[in-house]
Amino acid sequence: MRRALKQRVGRRQLIALETELLAELRAVKHRVPHLAGGLVASVDGLLVAHDTHGTEPSGLAAMTAASLSLAQRLADTTGQGEFRESLVRGEHGYVATYAAGGSCVLTLLAHPDVNVGRLHLEARRSAQRIAGLLNDSLLPKDPRDPG
Amino acid sequence: MTDAAGALKQAMTSIEGAIGAALVDYNSGMALATLDGPGGLDLNVAAAGNTDVVRAKMRTMDMLGLQDGIEDILITLSSQYHLIRPLTGRTGKGLFLYLALDKSRANLAMARHQLTRIEADLEV
Repeated sequence: MRRALKQRVGRRQLIALETELLAELRAVKHRVPHLAGGLVASVDGLLVAHDTHGTEPSGLAAMTAASLSLAQRLADTTGQGEFRESLVRGEHGYVATYAAGGSCVLTLLAHPDVNVGRLHLEARRSAQRIAGLLNDSLLPKDPRDPG
Repeated sequence: MTDAAGALKQAMTSIEGAIGAALVDYNSGMALATLDGPGGLDLNVAAAGNTDVVRAKMRTMDMLGLQDGIEDILITLSSQYHLIRPLTGRTGKGLFLYLALDKSRANLAMARHQLTRIEADLEV
């Protein structure tokens, strides 16, 4: 994903994109109390941006992709359509993954005290904004391009 | 005894001025049941937001050293009343009823009285 992005958008734009994604991750963290961290990864498991402390982000991005492909198949075979989100609740907290457009996902880590209703609310909006950011970078507005 | 859906229906039909009701789990912030009225409120947003209200009040009471329970929380807007009533029954632990009322049509004393009865009847 990173390489694909690099080829298409160039280094400077990629850094700008990462800064914007990081700002978005921090904004979610600010709006949802008890959030431990988050990352944006491509669906093939490569890390795009992260704001996690203590958790190894590239490993988490890879695992997100693995669980995502299973979740996708599960949704597909049971006729639920496209993957939208998944929530894993452990003894010590939550791992939530949200689709951010067709090529990336937003994964958030939360403490057990988190308000899940609020987490869903904020993360869904944030995933949409992230999809928008990625879309804008992958499809740069070119005046010569009619599409 | 009424179930969640029945209790919300009762609240919406019998309480004058009701514009939305929800049964919310304040451990997760998610609604177990919602019933829309003419108010056009997004009750899932209300559930998540008011969970923070309930948690904040419980934390405050804890910090003040008050060994007491919340009977209800009233929020008065310029055109609405919002009533929050934590469930006290054995099966209702960690839940609260949320009721939004149109201020110009509602009778607050009556609404609180009716909500108390609905809560007492509710079996989750």
